[in-house]
Amino acid sequence: MAAVQDGGSELEGEKEPKPELMNDGSTAPAAAPSSRPEDQQTLLAVLQFLKRNKLIESVDALRREAGLADEPEEAPGSEAAGGAGGAAAGSGELGDAGALLSRVSGGSQSAAAPAPAKGGDDQPDVSVVLSAYSQQGDPSLYQVYYSGLKKFIESVLDCHRAELSQLFYPLFVHMYLELVYNNHESEAKSFFEKFNGDQECYYQDDLRVLSGLTKKEHMKGNETLLDFRTSRFVLRISRDSYQLLKRHLQERQNNQIWNIIQEHLYIDIFDGMPRSKSQIDSMSGSLAGEAKREDNKTKVYYGLLKEPEIEVPLDDEDEEAENEEGKPKKKKPKKDSMGSKSKKQDPNAPQQNRIPLPELKDSDKLDKIMYMKEATKRIRLGPESLPSICFYTFLNAYQGLTAVDFTDDSSLLAGGFADSTVRVWSVTPKKLRKVKSAADLGMIDKESDDVLERIMDEKTASECKILYGHSGPVYGVSFSPDRNYLLSSSEDGTIRLWSLQTFTCLVAYKGHNYPVWDTQFSPYGYYFVSGGHDRVARLWATDHYQPLRMFAGHLADITCTRFHPNSNYVATGSADRTIRLWDVLNGHCVRVLTGHKGPIHSLAFSPNGKYLASGSTDGRVLLWDIGHGLMIGELKGHTDTIYALRFSRDGEILASGSMDNTVRLWDAIRAFDDVETDDFTAATGHVHLPDNSQELLLGTYLSKSTPVIHLHFTRRNLLLSAGAYNSQ
Amino acid sequence: GASVKMASPKTVPKDAQVMMQILKDMGITEYEPRVINQMLEFTYRYVTTIIEDAKIYATHAKKSTVDADDIRLAIQCRMDQSFTSPPPRDFLLEVARQKNQAPLPLIKPYAGPRLPPDRYCLTAPNYRLKSLQKKVSSSAGRITVPRLSVGAVSSRPSTPTLGTPSVQTMGSKVGTPVSLTGQRFTVQIPSSQAFSLPPISTVQNVLINPSLIGSKNILITTNMVSQNSSGESGSLKRKHEDDDDYDAL
Repeated sequence: MAAVQDGGSELEGEKEPKPELMNDGSTAPAAAPSSRPEDQQTLLAVLQFLKRNKLIESVDALRREAGLADEPEEAPGSEAAGGAGGAAAGSGELGDAGALLSRVSGGSQSAAAPAPAKGGDDQPDVSVVLSAYSQQGDPSLYQVYYSGLKKFIESVLDCHRAELSQLFYPLFVHMYLELVYNNHESEAKSFFEKFNGDQECYYQDDLRVLSGLTKKEHMKGNETLLDFRTSRFVLRISRDSYQLLKRHLQERQNNQIWNIIQEHLYIDIFDGMPRSKSQIDSMSGSLAGEAKREDNKTKVYYGLLKEPEIEVPLDDEDEEAENEEGKPKKKKPKKDSMGSKSKKQDPNAPQQNRIPLPELKDSDKLDKIMYMKEATKRIRLGPESLPSICFYTFLNAYQGLTAVDFTDDSSLLAGGFADSTVRVWSVTPKKLRKVKSAADLGMIDKESDDVLERIMDEKTASECKILYGHSGPVYGVSFSPDRNYLLSSSEDGTIRLWSLQTFTCLVAYKGHNYPVWDTQFSPYGYYFVSGGHDRVARLWATDHYQPLRMFAGHLADITCTRFHPNSNYVATGSADRTIRLWDVLNGHCVRVLTGHKGPIHSLAFSPNGKYLASGSTDGRVLLWDIGHGLMIGELKGHTDTIYALRFSRDGEILASGSMDNTVRLWDAIRAFDDVETDDFTAATGHVHLPDNSQELLLGTYLSKSTPVIHLHFTRRNLLLSAGAYNSQ
Repeated sequence: GASVKMASPKTVPKDAQVMMQILKDMGITEYEPRVINQMLEFTYRYVTTIIEDAKIYATHAKKSTVDADDIRLAIQCRMDQSFTSPPPRDFLLEVARQKNQAPLPLIKPYAGPRLPPDRYCLTAPNYRLKSLQKKVSSSAGRITVPRLSVGAVSSRPSTPTLGTPSVQTMGSKVGTPVSLTGQRFTVQIPSSQAFSLPPISTVQNVLINPSLIGSKNILITTNMVSQNSSGESGSLKRKHEDDDDYDAL
């Protein structure tokens, strides 16, 4: 303590509280081996104070006596990672001193600047260490920091301004949350009122949620916000803009902003031209910023699996002409077009055995033959040949219809309702029948030809069957491809498997403890995926009572889950406004697609597996190239949430159905043709989207005040749609 | 639902006005008018629950008045109990990482319906039958009737079958069906009945006339060959040569 005797008299008064505080909070190891850590800290604190008050001679004297080096140690500037406690010892002490000073000196203007930045460039990132503490400087100065940044950004060149403006929103939210978290309620409120009007319009919903959050306790129940606070908002900024920003923030007393940036933001720097405002707007909007470049670098096998070769007979009348592969037949059958492709493996398609898939049963093979027969009668759609649309309206549903699904051959229709029932209808004149009881089954002639008809009980024939079992509204229904099973997911947290032969519930899969918003069978059956409020999507197999894979990573509820046509990938759309593509094999997230400005409620893969279409509450349909992970199209036109999206059977037309009571048809071939993906765009992910929604729109069809919640193309390319009549 | 014309603010009680303002602040513009009532009911129930809990905590801490700490504790306990939220993200990521390490299980070929083990399915019968109170007196001697299972209706649930086992009951008072596979039953036909039993050797040729059974509660079931009987046939004392001697009743 000997060194402290030098210096001005004003030091005495402040010296007293310091040792206690320092002893309590001292964590940094001693840099100079001679003295104790507390002494070292006191020394440095005093040094800084003297320097700030321009008592140069005292500073020199103190240095000489204490035996310190001429320049205080340089804190290493750690740009990439957040400072945390891992900063070097010297900066640790200085950081402590800085924090202590800020605490001791309270809110007064002169000493309030917590960054001990008087030393200028020799301590550039000292207060990086402050990020280890939740208190980042003086709360009443947050407004000053923010306005300072605002002024700076408004003064830069136009080309950089758009990119740097991306900083406003995450900084605003994080600073507000810091104030709330540290119980500075009034400062938080005034900070919010001053700056919330400056944010982009598409963040309005988030800001409204924030405005209701004024105390730390409010944050505890809100998982999304807690995740937002701990995860890092990703910004993509060009190198030039980033250099500009860094230079500005480090040369002045703006280290607070710099700290916050380093702790809460992840700046993905790319080399190249700065992006324009429209490019940035199209990609931003998600709760976690944009996607890092490396998130979208994994190779995705988006090709389709090879179809097994089944020879289809030429004649329609010849029903029993089914043939296994390789067996010759006396009539010359036509090979199906899918199976006759080259034997070479498509480089973009996964291996046949990449994930285990159930083998084809005889009934499946029969089904495939029916499918191919229907495919020959399929109408080729296009801008000149639009599909007819058949609308199935649910009457007297009293806004209780929450989910709809059709079987692939369009013979059955299932509806999930808010009264926790699932109802199955037969769309064809053929009625629904239950299998006979065990007693009766024993009596039938098992060798007869129509045994499959005889096992059905005629007494139970009806057009509609009601399935009871759930204890909450049913939010997702999905038929299995072989029409034997129906899945339903509900608010009670379970997913139920129903048999469509006995119309009873077989299994209740419990795993989500929160509402399950969507479920879907895999295109090959056996697997199914579900996603719900707990922000995790699960992959199940019908014969395992626990999930096989858990896809965790979203920040908010998962509202939509879809399988890729090759069953190797699952796409999930979430309320955090991102879409993630997951690999079924190992559970990794292989793509993160941002750009929507509202929760995503519908997803559709194109039949060739290359593209994904997504629709959300903002009324836009976005088109994505899965292979590159880029947005390649934007279809504007709907005015309300899009709940239904479907590609036609050969991918020529995209149909979208929305709460605004319309079905719109878009020219998918043209939308995908317009894409130029040269090397640059693939590398940096900046595609300039042409605003051609009007040209791509082929037709708008209004229903009579019936929101469209499901779309389905039959095998012959007739469009079926479903919705519940809304009389209001 | 769309909003019907709102009641004019003058006639609406102050609480409801406050609730309407809250909904407006949260950005909700369209709602049915009943929503206000439901929200008010919820608020009332929640607040009274919290305050009652807080009173209990205050008396437990031997305080005379309820203060802010009690309220805070009450809120926290209720949060953990009723308004739970999903697990935090890092926990989920860790659990997912562990779960995703296991390779996908191979699929057994030719397996029929692929369902989890029976224990996890909902396919078992969800009822058990009560035993009859009165036991039929045994003066008539016992006859073991092969293949025509008649007996008191106490049974354990047999192995699960898909769907309910169906029986045809003949004018009996006790109407509960039962799957009697795998169980041996004895017929006790009381002598009080005007029913003469021929000696055992000719029992096989008798058609038991249901009208004679009268008030005694005897169930006659047809031969119940359910899918699972193959394992249990050994336990039945059956004479298989009697198969075709009985008509189905």
